Amino acid sequence: MRHPDLEMQVDAWLDGELPAVEAGEIEAHLERCPQCARFREERLALRHAVRTALPQLTPSATLEARVRRQLKDARVRERARAGLGTRQWMAIAASLLIVALGSWQLGRQQPHATDLGDEVLRSHVRALMPGHLTDVLSSDQHTVKPWFNGVLDYSPPVYDFAGRGYPLIGGRLEYIGGKKVAALVYGRRKHLITVLVWPRAQGESAGKAGFRQGYNLLSWTTPSYVYWITSDLGRPELTEFSTLLREADAMAGVGPKE
Amino acid sequence: MLPHLGEAYSLARYLTRNDHDAEDVVQDAYLRAFTYRETFRGEGSQSARAWFLTIVRNTAFSWKRKSGNRVEVAEFDETHHSEAVAGNHPEAAMLRTAEREALADAIEQLPTEFREVIVLREVEGLSYREISEVVGVPAGTVMSRLSRARERLQRALLPVRGD
Repeated sequence: MRHPDLEMQVDAWLDGELPAVEAGEIEAHLERCPQCARFREERLALRHAVRTALPQLTPSATLEARVRRQLKDARVRERARAGLGTRQWMAIAASLLIVALGSWQLGRQQPHATDLGDEVLRSHVRALMPGHLTDVLSSDQHTVKPWFNGVLDYSPPVYDFAGRGYPLIGGRLEYIGGKKVAALVYGRRKHLITVLVWPRAQGESAGKAGFRQGYNLLSWTTPSYVYWITSDLGRPELTEFSTLLREADAMAGVGPKE
Repeated sequence: MLPHLGEAYSLARYLTRNDHDAEDVVQDAYLRAFTYRETFRGEGSQSARAWFLTIVRNTAFSWKRKSGNRVEVAEFDETHHSEAVAGNHPEAAMLRTAEREALADAIEQLPTEFREVIVLREVEGLSYREISEVVGVPAGTVMSRLSRARERLQRALLPVRGD
């Protein structure tokens, strides 16, 4: 029989919005209920169709010019009213849109690091600040990977999953646990995923997965590397992405043999 | 590019269903964001994107009222939905085209409160919490609206798929 009362939860589960306990229950139910499993497949197909029918639209070039001109006028008017000095004004003008519309504020919410997970999280949040995202900005893995050669004593695995909806955006250097490590940035729709990867020391184990301050964290090890990934993506998508990484590592021969 | 311009334009465009109005709405929204930037605190979980898209959404709705509901009946511009279909099988492609048109129609005909949550989720990729902030309803309402909206869209596709 169909379970109309559960369908809303299946929707929320597909959106990655169901709390862990309920998600577990739904997953268990989907295992044994063919009707709900079919419902899930229909919804997945629908989601795909809706995203195709509703593309991100690109505004005309003239719109941006109009908006910029208008903002400039507004700033000039405001400056005239407030009578600010030029220097003050320059500083404000420079930071204005970024402050108003950027995501710098996220960085203020973070407590002091108490463990690796916190450090990983903070590195992700810091990266969301304008201009901090990448040191090397390229969707070409053959550009990103060699860049690390110059700055690290190891060469991290770099992939491009654009075909799977997780394009490579770039890489940067991070300090985690007092070490320089490679950070790779991948995209998913409007979301960003930070992947931190470093050579695995003897006996080093994976960190604890979790959900903190709106971000999901996953960690695992391969024989060669320790991985941490974090994003504001829901758990199902982040897990899917981690599976892609593991598979790619396994193909490249650096992945889990066990 | 200006921060959030593409997202703002997409939302405005899908809400007003009219290119000209969408551009005016976006322009107006940036001016409002500038004027009221003090109201953005970034406290708790508030994201800058959600804050700005709230302004875009509210601007679109006041625009709609101002223009006497004209945008509600405005023609949808098909050119925005005419990108090539993937795949090489003509029959499958035809089915997909028919499906996409049926879906685009169905989305267009959704009542505004359903259409906006679909756009915020599927185009903008916002979380339920962010959508709840933008629309000004509890997250539970976002969840049920999304589900009901999808139910309608699913039904609209049935005749096309023939099952």
